[in-house]
This record gives sequence, structure tokens and C-alpha cells, in this order.
Amino acid sequence: MARRKPEDDVLGKRGLARFDFCIIGSGAGGGTAAHVLTAAGKNVLVLEAGPNPFPGLDDSAGLPLPLHSNDELKYSLRSFVQQDGFLEPRTFRGDPAGPAAVNEDVNVLPRAVGGAFQHADAKTPRFNAVDFRLKSTIDALIAANPGLMVPGFNDPMSPVANFADWPFTYADLEPFYVEAERLYGVQGKQGDNIFESARSQPYPMPPGVPMYFALLLADGARQVTLPGFGTLNPHAYPAAINSRFYDDRPPCVDCGLCSGFGCPNNSKGSPAVTTLRRALLTGRCQLRFNAQACRLVHDGGHVSGVEYIDGAGRRQSVTADAFMLAASPIESARLCLLSPAPGGAVLGNSSGQLGQNLMFHYQSNVNGFLPRRVHGQRGRAVTHGISDFRGVDPGGETIRLFSGNTRVFLGGICEFGASQGQPISEDGSVYAIRLPVFRGFRARSGTTLKNALRDGALGQHLFGLTMQAEDAPQRTNFVDLDPTYKDVYGLPVPRVTYMPHAYEVAAREFYVPLMMQIVHNAGAPEEKIFLTPTDQQQGAAPSSRHIMGTLRMGNDPGTSVTSGDRPGKKLGQFHDVDNLYACDGSVFPTSAGYNPTLTIIAVALKIAHGIAGTPPETG
Amino acid sequence: MPKLKLPRTLPGPAEPLAPEPPPPSTLLLGRREFLKGLGVVLAALAAPVTGARRAYAAARGRFFTGHEFATLSALCDRVIPPDRDPGARALGAAHYIERMLTAFDHRVPLVFAGGPFSNRNPFPDNDDGTPSRRRPKDAFRHFIPLTRVQEIRWRAELFGSAKVRGADFNDALLGPLTGLRTIYRQSLRQVDQTARAMHGKAFVRLEPAEQDAIFALLDSGPASVRFKADRRRGVTFIDLLIQHTLEGCFGPPEYGGNRRLRGWTMLGLEGDDQPLGYSIFSRAKDGYNERPDHPMSTPNPDELSGPRPISADANSVQDTIIAFTRIFGSG
Repeated sequence: MARRKPEDDVLGKRGLARFDFCIIGSGAGGGTAAHVLTAAGKNVLVLEAGPNPFPGLDDSAGLPLPLHSNDELKYSLRSFVQQDGFLEPRTFRGDPAGPAAVNEDVNVLPRAVGGAFQHADAKTPRFNAVDFRLKSTIDALIAANPGLMVPGFNDPMSPVANFADWPFTYADLEPFYVEAERLYGVQGKQGDNIFESARSQPYPMPPGVPMYFALLLADGARQVTLPGFGTLNPHAYPAAINSRFYDDRPPCVDCGLCSGFGCPNNSKGSPAVTTLRRALLTGRCQLRFNAQACRLVHDGGHVSGVEYIDGAGRRQSVTADAFMLAASPIESARLCLLSPAPGGAVLGNSSGQLGQNLMFHYQSNVNGFLPRRVHGQRGRAVTHGISDFRGVDPGGETIRLFSGNTRVFLGGICEFGASQGQPISEDGSVYAIRLPVFRGFRARSGTTLKNALRDGALGQHLFGLTMQAEDAPQRTNFVDLDPTYKDVYGLPVPRVTYMPHAYEVAAREFYVPLMMQIVHNAGAPEEKIFLTPTDQQQGAAPSSRHIMGTLRMGNDPGTSVTSGDRPGKKLGQFHDVDNLYACDGSVFPTSAGYNPTLTIIAVALKIAHGIAGTPPETG
Repeated sequence: MPKLKLPRTLPGPAEPLAPEPPPPSTLLLGRREFLKGLGVVLAALAAPVTGARRAYAAARGRFFTGHEFATLSALCDRVIPPDRDPGARALGAAHYIERMLTAFDHRVPLVFAGGPFSNRNPFPDNDDGTPSRRRPKDAFRHFIPLTRVQEIRWRAELFGSAKVRGADFNDALLGPLTGLRTIYRQSLRQVDQTARAMHGKAFVRLEPAEQDAIFALLDSGPASVRFKADRRRGVTFIDLLIQHTLEGCFGPPEYGGNRRLRGWTMLGLEGDDQPLGYSIFSRAKDGYNERPDHPMSTPNPDELSGPRPISADANSVQDTIIAFTRIFGSG
């Protein structure tokens, strides 16, 4: 096979001579920033470490169909766009004093043109208004309620977490949420979720067809009472998935292979087919893929260039006036760590918190086996959910107090889900390889295995809900460089040190019994309901795929890595490096209890518009 | 919704789930002493292979000798045996495995099938919300060229990390990754050696019940006989064989298995369903039509009046999953 040449690995304008910005990462953060900056007349270079599943993405005649397909082997088993654990392992440890073990999947995300969101089922709820001032709100509640005990705040039984307010409010961000929902094409139903904070505009599209098991779970939830606050409020789940012809892309056909798969017909509003394509069509954007950034060249306070390894394995370098990190929190922090200053200090780490405050949502997953087949292979993975377990009041402005004003339980949104009917990865290999012997029963091979497969014991009957609970920021949850293991590029791999704390565990213990009631009401017999053990209980690395923190933004250079909007500094700009920005989930001070991507997009819009001096496009 | 996550190993201090099952196939094997002795016999049989016996087919896309292929096919049929539905042999699982092992015999390696569509389903007609008569071209047939690092990864998978330039970057710490080609070739030989030691015949010449017994012995027999877990992969040959057999039975047919889609048919699955999908947007009604035979928001047509019973085996799988999760506690 002919070797690829670097010039093959380019989308967009090839002849650009100089770049105002170099963005590292082409996903929700980087693609969004590229769109805003090029629309404002800037020349932008985007470096993407992964391959390109969107040939012809820069074709001005029309958006071609991608290489994505309904193919379980390609996605669930062969890592077509997922980060590969052999090529790029990570190491993980729960105990910061202990050794880290190599682990092929420490919350790895896809690396490909368009980033990780193309692999998600594109759920796009907003954060609540109170999420942007959670610390000051809880501090005030503690001051006003003498009996109130909050883990991570004033509970003597748990260490104090590192909460901080965001450097802007929900009202400041709301126009950018509107722009994000319009750019990415979000479906949803205004007023359906009573906990959603105030919207200035309706959803661009109505919800698509509901999934059968989701309707059962919604009915089940309506019969469950949250103590002191009445029955639960199921709602349509907002998603960046077309339910109509929108933005020259077709409606979703509910093909089913959605979570963990790229979209074959471009109805999923992922970054490649929305913002990145817009940027490429301006003639001011060049995207180099198969380009693994490996070092920022700098003098401590100013970045002059970036070195990367191209698709042929050669080391290249490129210069730009300014640089923007958008490689996702673990990789964005890692690039700083791979770029020590001449004296050895980590780039951008005058606060001492770079790489820290790493947050993953703390997922609780309650499942049941429904006697009828759930046929989760038809639909877009998740069509409904509940937000009652976020623990806020309707409107999302204030926090609920439980148990006579002595407790708060800040969990998160719950997705109603089911097996997607993948016979190899969700059924067969679970029965035959993952399950132990129980009472002499084993479905290892033979007629037993075949019978279980034909009935879809798991793949046609498993359904339930997953709570995406807030993960409290901790300085002791962090990423640094592993001292021993290398990736295929010869670079030290990221080492993740993480353990959950009392804040999120308390919410899990409070809400799980209610989650079990929902699954029971939806039709699962009591003996067919179970709580999936947490990653920690299983001795596994975190696997929520929701990754935030490491380059926290704030107005105090002593306690944050990137800046708020303050005199002399722009939002997202490093406090101590004059031409370096971050615009991915790494800047989040807290993780809230909602899927993060819409907020990543809205924050990237706010950061990029702040740099460009342009207003959000709200229609 | 994330997939159900089940641990690969039991937690340390927890109680064992249940008493170990009786040693497999005691009826056929007789006494425990025989099993002990078998390990010695196998070690003696593991002699170097002569050049004459190494008459492997050199043709493009071929890796196994005729005898190896027949042995592999018989093993696949132990994983998914034929009954009222086809077994793994008839579904082409061994062909799938050989195609995987020879992926690099082709100009574009056969690793990632193309996209977006096969030609198995029509386009929707979005004017009236019905299936149209138009079908897409089959893009699955055209495999996607690998990037440089993807090629390193898949060559290491097949040929071993020590034999692929640029693939040995963690070998000093983790040990080399043994290539699947080596694993298959050596393991098939071990299967035959075990069959000959026990019955004096090649594996393929044994009755299915005898093959099942050897399969069980090699999977969970005494340590001297059963396959050992590969250090870097953490799994045994039987684990790999089961995994690849499932892939060959139920993956898209472009990878060489799932003949005539009978794997999917057996499971009642529709397989890849793009570009038609299950909900068809209609401009005329500014809304969607569902497909009555494959509904999305209502139960399957055969379960409208009540659930279709599941087999005792499927029920036991569900109960095993539940019992397994409960040993972790409810917290």
C-alpha cells in the first residue's frame, strides 16, 4: 500500500501562509472555536491527532456522507475511531501514594476529525443556573441552616473539596447556549423539563419518535415520589440529533447504533458536520489530521510554535500567533506537561493546579430485565430521562434541602437506556467470557450459549437508567505524566489518579432506591432488578466518558489555570502565558450533573467570541 | 446510556459465588490420575514441526492448512453448535477468522469495512414517509485504508509486537504481544495433540460429544492441560476462539462470516438497517411513520398480548448477572 504523504492529511485551505490561531483538537471545543474565529476573519490551523472519517468535509458543493456505518465490529470491537489501548495506553491508580497500572481504557475518547462527540448519542441538556454559583450557594445555605451538613463543605467526616464558582453566570452564558443549540441542531421540548433553567428561545426542532422502553420508564417514574417533593417528572431528552431536515442534513432514521458509533447519514449534529465544516468552507481554515501534537515551544510566558508527529511518522513544527488547547481535559493538560519550561517548570502551572480538579461524572446504573423484548436496536439510544435527581428546585436556580434542612443531594440527570442489541459485545461475549460460574451454570459455549443468544437475554431485555451525578472537584484527582509507560509516538502516557468522595457517594446512596422503584414500576420483576457496581467497586478505571477540569478557569491566578473575563485577560486565556488559551471541558470549575458537551460548546463559543470581539448568533 | 459494565475478575475478599462445578467430562476421562499424566504426554508431543508438515497454503488470503481449517471449523461448532439453526461452521466463522489473520494479504487491509451503507436496505422516501425503491451502493465492501499507527496496531495484533517495527514500545515492561497467527497455529496443534493423547485420533475425527469434552478440558481442566492465559492479553486461546467465533457468526458479512445473514436471522436481529432505519420522516405529515413490522415505540408485534417466554438458559444468564452484581453490595 502506498505510504500516505503529509499533504494527503489535510482538509480546507492548503495555501495559507500564516496562522492567527493554532487549535489543538477538532472536537466540540476546537471545532466550535474554529468556526467563530474564521467567521471573524482569522486564519486558523487545526491539528487533529486522529484520522478523518469525513472525506470531502471541505467540499463546498455539498456535505458528503461519511465512512461511518452500522458495524459492530468496526466500532465496538476494533476501535475505528476510539483511542486504541495498545497504541495509546493510560495508567490509573486510585491511591495517590500507590503505583499506577497500565490500563487500556481510562475514560478514553475517540480521536478523529470531529472529536469525541461523534461517538456519543449526542445528549445535550443545559446546566442549571445554580451550577455556575454552586459553591457560594451552598456556603450561604450552610450559613442559614445550622443543621445542614454537606460532604466536601462542612462535613467533618470528609475532606474539603475544591469547589469554586464559575467566572460568569448562567445569564451570561444563555445566549451562547442558544447559539450552540442552533449550530448543532438540538431537538427538545420546551417546558417538558421543569428543572431546566430559563430559556430565551425554544429548541430548534421538536423531539423525534420515542423508544418503547423509555415510555415504560417514564410511566414508571411518574408513580415514584421523591420524599417531600412529590412525584417525578420524566421529560424528552434534548439531543443534537435532527428530527427534521435541518442545516442541509437529513432527519435521524433511528438506526439504533448510536451510542459508541459514528452517524452514517450525518443527522447527528457532531462537530465535523456542523462547526468544523463551516470553518473549512471559509477558506481561512486548514485542518491537518493524523497530526499528534507532542510539545509546545515557548519561553515560559509566550508560545511560539507547536511540534507534532505527522501521518508518516515525521516530526513537524508550525508557528502561529496564538494557540488554543482543545484536546479534551486529559490530553490538553498532558500537552502542557509535555512542554516543560527551560527550567523544568510545567507550562502554565503558576497556580500549582494544572492537571488537578479532574472530574468524571459519578454514574449510577440501575437495570432490570423486562419480560418483553425492549428492542433497543431501534432508536437513538436515549429519548427520555428525569432531572429530579439533580437535587435542585424547578427552574434550577436554587438547591433543594432534604431531611429537615439537614442534607442536600446533588446527583444528576438520569438517562433512560437499554442494550442497543449488539449481539457480540453486549450479548455473546458477556455470557461466554465475562460471566463467572454460578450454581454450576455457565453459558460458555454450546447449546446453552446459543439459547441465551437467541433469546437476547441481555441484548433484548436489559433496560434501566443511568444517573450522571456531579463529581466534586478535588486537587487529589489529577492527571500527570506516567514515569514508565510510553505511547506509539514515544511520549509518556497520561497517568490518572482518581477516587470518588463522600459528596457523590451520598447522592448515589440517596437516589438509587428510587431508581430501583422506577425500573420496577416500568415492568421489571423485583428479582430481575440490579444495581451495577461502580467502577471503583469493580477495581476498574473510571469509564463515564464525561471528562472535565484540569485547566480550571477563574479570576484568581492563585487558584485557577485559565482566566475569566477580567482586565487584561480574556476568558479561557492562561493566567501566566500571554498567547495560550483552552476551550474544551478542561476549563470547567465544576462538573454539574448533566452531559457536558452542550456546555463545552457554549463555553467555547463564549471564549472564541470574546477573542474575536463578535456577538453570539442567536437568530 | 453506557453499556452494562461487568468486571473481568471477582473482587478480592468477596465470597465465591458458588461451589465450583464438577470437573468437566469426568465420564469420558475417567480418573484424575489420567489427567495428571496427560500433561506429561502433551509435553512430549510438543515436538518441533518439520518443514514437510509446514505445507501451508501460500495463496493470498489463506493461512491454515486444510487440516487446520477443519480443526478450527470443528472448534467453532463447539462454541455455536448446529441445531434447528446453523452452527458456527455453516455461518463461516472459521472463514472469518482466516480472513482476519490474512488481513494484510490485501492491498487495503481487511480491518475496517467501508461506510456509510451496505446495499441491504433502501433509502427512505421522505415525501410520504415510506421505504423507497432506491438502494445505495454497497460501501461496506470497500475497506478503509489504515493510518500509519493503525497499521502498527493491527500488524502487532496479527504478527506480534516484537516482529513489527515501532510496535515494541512497551514490550520491556509488559512483555511482547503474541500475534494471533502464532496463537492460532500453536493452539490448533495443541488441540490435536490432546485429542490424539486421549483418543488416538485427530480432533476432527472425534464425535461431537468427545470434542465437547476436549474443549472443556482445554478450557477448564487441570492446569497441566488447559490453555494458559497469554501474559499481555490476559486471556486464553479458548477466550479468543469464543470471541472470534461470535464475531464470525454475528458481524457484518463483509468480514467473511454471518453467511446469508443467517446469524442475524437466528437472533431475530435486522442487522445494519441504514439508510432506511426504523422511523421514516414524512414531509407530508411533518412527522414520522414507524415500520409496523419493526416498531420503535411499541412492543414487537408478537408480544402485543404478552411477553414471549425465554429459555431456561437465557433466564439463568440473567440470574447469573444479577447474582454477580450483588456480591459487590448495594452501595
